[in-house]
Amino acid sequence: MDFLRSIPTHMDFEGQARAENLSRIIVFLFGMVGLVWGYIIQQFSQTVYILAAGLALSILITVPPWPFYRLKSVKWQKARPDPDVADSKSKKKK
Amino acid sequence: MHTVISRLNSNVAYTSSVLGGLVFMCFLSTFFLDYTTHAQIGTVNVVVKHVSDYSASREKNDLGFLTFDLQADLNPLFNWNVKQLFLYLSAEYATPKNAVNQVVLWDKIIQRGENALLNYKSMNTKYYFWDDGNGLKNHQNVTLTLSWNVIPNAGNLPRVQAKGSHSFKFPAEYTTSRT
Repeated sequence: MDFLRSIPTHMDFEGQARAENLSRIIVFLFGMVGLVWGYIIQQFSQTVYILAAGLALSILITVPPWPFYRLKSVKWQKARPDPDVADSKSKKKK
Repeated sequence: MHTVISRLNSNVAYTSSVLGGLVFMCFLSTFFLDYTTHAQIGTVNVVVKHVSDYSASREKNDLGFLTFDLQADLNPLFNWNVKQLFLYLSAEYATPKNAVNQVVLWDKIIQRGENALLNYKSMNTKYYFWDDGNGLKNHQNVTLTLSWNVIPNAGNLPRVQAKGSHSFKFPAEYTTSRT
């Protein structure tokens, strides 16, 4: 269980943006190629199949949280001591 | 976009939008095409009877019988936005009772990929040529025309009349024997 929890499943913010842009580009390009090919052979079903292939590729590339979407993780500042917590502690001491 | 489910959802949603755009492009690419073409129609054998139309009433009405020839090449009508054609042969004539009478005598569905080069000789009609009275006997000008509906993947449903029609006369005497 600890091993499963240790697998990172998040994307950082830039990774999320890249994944979204990538999926848009892949699906759109496959759609355009499908449109041209379908028009050439006059079969709209081929256009739909090519678009579906684009969707499959896009899902494979952009849906799982691949490691290359985790290259620019957010650098958090160190936690500052909480003044409220300090106050309550001091009050308790009183 | 921070979970697997939201990315999956956005992929599928965007793909369906793109599919809608592609369908619209397919529609646009065929919207301005002309779906008319020529058809040659002829009649071979024409008779008229005077018999009871039990589907309407017990009165005797005129019933026309005809066999027709039909030649048309409909292959040019098919493209990537045409699933099938619905052809129908209709007769149009005027009688003292009605200014316009239209009767569909025959129809046919041609799906894409099927033979669209029509060459029929002495075909029987599929449907009865009833007049709602005695208008067919000795009628001098009945016009046969071929029309079709274009059934597309996406877009409008044009109804087109072929160029070329055929006019014929009904005989002046009723036929009483079986023909």
